[in-house]
Amino acid sequence: MSYTLRGRLESRLAAVLLPFGVAIALAAALPAWWPVQLAALMIAVGITLDAAVYHPLLRYQPGWFALPLGGLELVLVTALAFAFDVAAPLDAAVAFFAASWLWAQILGHAALPLLRAEYAEDGGELARAGTLAAAGVASAFVLVGGVAWATQPPVVHLHGVVQGPLVLDHEQTLVGGVVRGGIVITADGVTVRGTTTIGGDYGIEVRESHDVRLDRVTVVRAREDGIHARRSGVVIENCNVLAGPGTQGVDVSFAMHEHSEIAGCRVAGGVSGIEVHYTMASIRDNVVVGSGISLTEMSMGSIEDNAADSIYCGDWSLCEIEGNAAASIRVNANSDARVRDNRAGRISASADSILRR
Amino acid sequence: MAVAIVGSGLAALTAKAALADADVHAVVFGDSPDPAATWRRRAQAIRQTHMRSESDGHCGTRTFPGLAVRDAMRRRDLRQLVESVTDRYHPTVELFLEHADEVRRECGWDESFVQARVRRLHPVEGGFEVDERGTFRHVLLAPGHPGLHVPPELADDARVVHAYEPHAYADRVAVVGAGMAAATEWRNANAAGGEVISVRRREPLRRPLNLPRHLFTKRGLATYHRLDVESRVALLRSLSTPSYPPGPQWDIPVRIAAAIPDAADQVICATGFRRGFEHDPLLSALAREHALERANGWLVLDDDATVPALTDAARTLAVSGVHAQWAFPAADTLAGMRYVAHRFARRCRTR
Repeated sequence: MSYTLRGRLESRLAAVLLPFGVAIALAAALPAWWPVQLAALMIAVGITLDAAVYHPLLRYQPGWFALPLGGLELVLVTALAFAFDVAAPLDAAVAFFAASWLWAQILGHAALPLLRAEYAEDGGELARAGTLAAAGVASAFVLVGGVAWATQPPVVHLHGVVQGPLVLDHEQTLVGGVVRGGIVITADGVTVRGTTTIGGDYGIEVRESHDVRLDRVTVVRAREDGIHARRSGVVIENCNVLAGPGTQGVDVSFAMHEHSEIAGCRVAGGVSGIEVHYTMASIRDNVVVGSGISLTEMSMGSIEDNAADSIYCGDWSLCEIEGNAAASIRVNANSDARVRDNRAGRISASADSILRR
Repeated sequence: MAVAIVGSGLAALTAKAALADADVHAVVFGDSPDPAATWRRRAQAIRQTHMRSESDGHCGTRTFPGLAVRDAMRRRDLRQLVESVTDRYHPTVELFLEHADEVRRECGWDESFVQARVRRLHPVEGGFEVDERGTFRHVLLAPGHPGLHVPPELADDARVVHAYEPHAYADRVAVVGAGMAAATEWRNANAAGGEVISVRRREPLRRPLNLPRHLFTKRGLATYHRLDVESRVALLRSLSTPSYPPGPQWDIPVRIAAAIPDAADQVICATGFRRGFEHDPLLSALAREHALERANGWLVLDDDATVPALTDAARTLAVSGVHAQWAFPAADTLAGMRYVAHRFARRCRTR
């Protein structure tokens, strides 16, 4: 087969119509966005390769070329799915790709030549059907995009100072502003970005919520913990916490079932900078001034590239402690840790720990 | 709407099938009620067993299912499909002829066939008068090759036989030519136990198809159609170089000679056909009477193989087969015949 550029694109669009429809149906049934995201990646990769690689390089394409080209597309789609964090189960995603590829082969080698006598002669062009296929795919994209847009959580921009406590009890993105009296998050999928809290019992409290993201938040003068998360999955990035005397900067606890992350924060004051209890967590690139970082009570996680007065792994926890700068690093006797490449004044570790200074 | 096909070979059959597929009734005027008769006779003469073309080489209107699929289904064997997707499938002559018979039955050939050699085509308002047999709005001329070519210096040689005429093999055989027919005759004469002398003026080309593959494609044709007259003539001339496929089955031990040795018992002319539309009485008269544009022996046609001076919004005169090379360089192949057939059918359907 020797495709024209238009023929390649029209054949591609005709072939993706059914898989895209199936992906939309799957997305609605699951419900999850990954089938649609995967289908969109497949279409984007296919069309890009058609226009930029296949058309200039392949003047004639023997039938067996479909196999290596399919393999190439699978590799690219997989890489992009990882890069864009498409949350697709690998086996289901590969099965979906393989089924779509097989359908495209049936269509290109049998169905389209059967439906349109001049298909091969016209280099894969489909005349009016090609325009319809393009319109179909575009319509599906518009439909899916519209649904995605309509179901996106609202973005709330705060201006100036707002009297709190502010309770975020549904999915949303809160941007900017200053909240007096703290923020309480009780819903999944909440993002707080660039907001400052002043006062309150906790600066930001997260209660039994998942997929919560705190990005560039500043917390000052909270009466207790600066950021306080319980039974929640939370990502805290680039925060700035000024903890009062006798309080904790960041405390993420009791969430062994999901992963939390505290990264790039600056925590000053308080009796403890970052506390993690009974949680899976990654703590990295933070600066804790005047106190330390603790991973305790059967927690599992890593403490990497932080600067703090002390780092502690205790109470049956499993820790990876690496690349930190601290006055002391201590691993409790009943905990296991791999401790390596740190700059520490004093390291004390249990017998089972692996140490490399 | 009245549509006529003038000619009764494979090009005419392919066109008739395409028209039937488009629900267009066409009358076929020709010498032989069997559209594969001439081709069958020639294939038998050179003991051809397999087609040179790959799976697209058939008379059907659609490329799917091609002969590879039919063959695979019949034998319950996937090997034919694997060979097809790797461009290595060559159907047997027997299978091809069965398929031609099937197309003949399905397209209503016999019901539309009128045994008559058309001698004159006269353009009239809104169509063409075909001899005294009526006026047709759209006419496809598919007269086939205008006879076998025997080099003039061999015309009176009693040892001479053309490859496409029935013949046996002598002990010492000189084969003139360097194309597919010649390569087949080397094999045949060698298998018959004869000594084979290949008489050739130039080294033959080895390529899978009888023309470069891109000239069968829309992209390649678009480039070809953009050529000016001189470049197109030069290209068509260069494409007339004889060729046969690569592969050990064609590497027969032959003695090469520039002239025919006196000691040869038999001279087989594998020199193909007479070249040029002037050798065809109907086309030649048409070109002369209407001063049709020509270029160095080729009839100048539009890209869809229609004759520009005699085609307009209301009527069509198109040419198929070898005389359509100006539009499609491989017009004498089955793929070329289908190309013309589809375009002719489209005009008939939409005008």
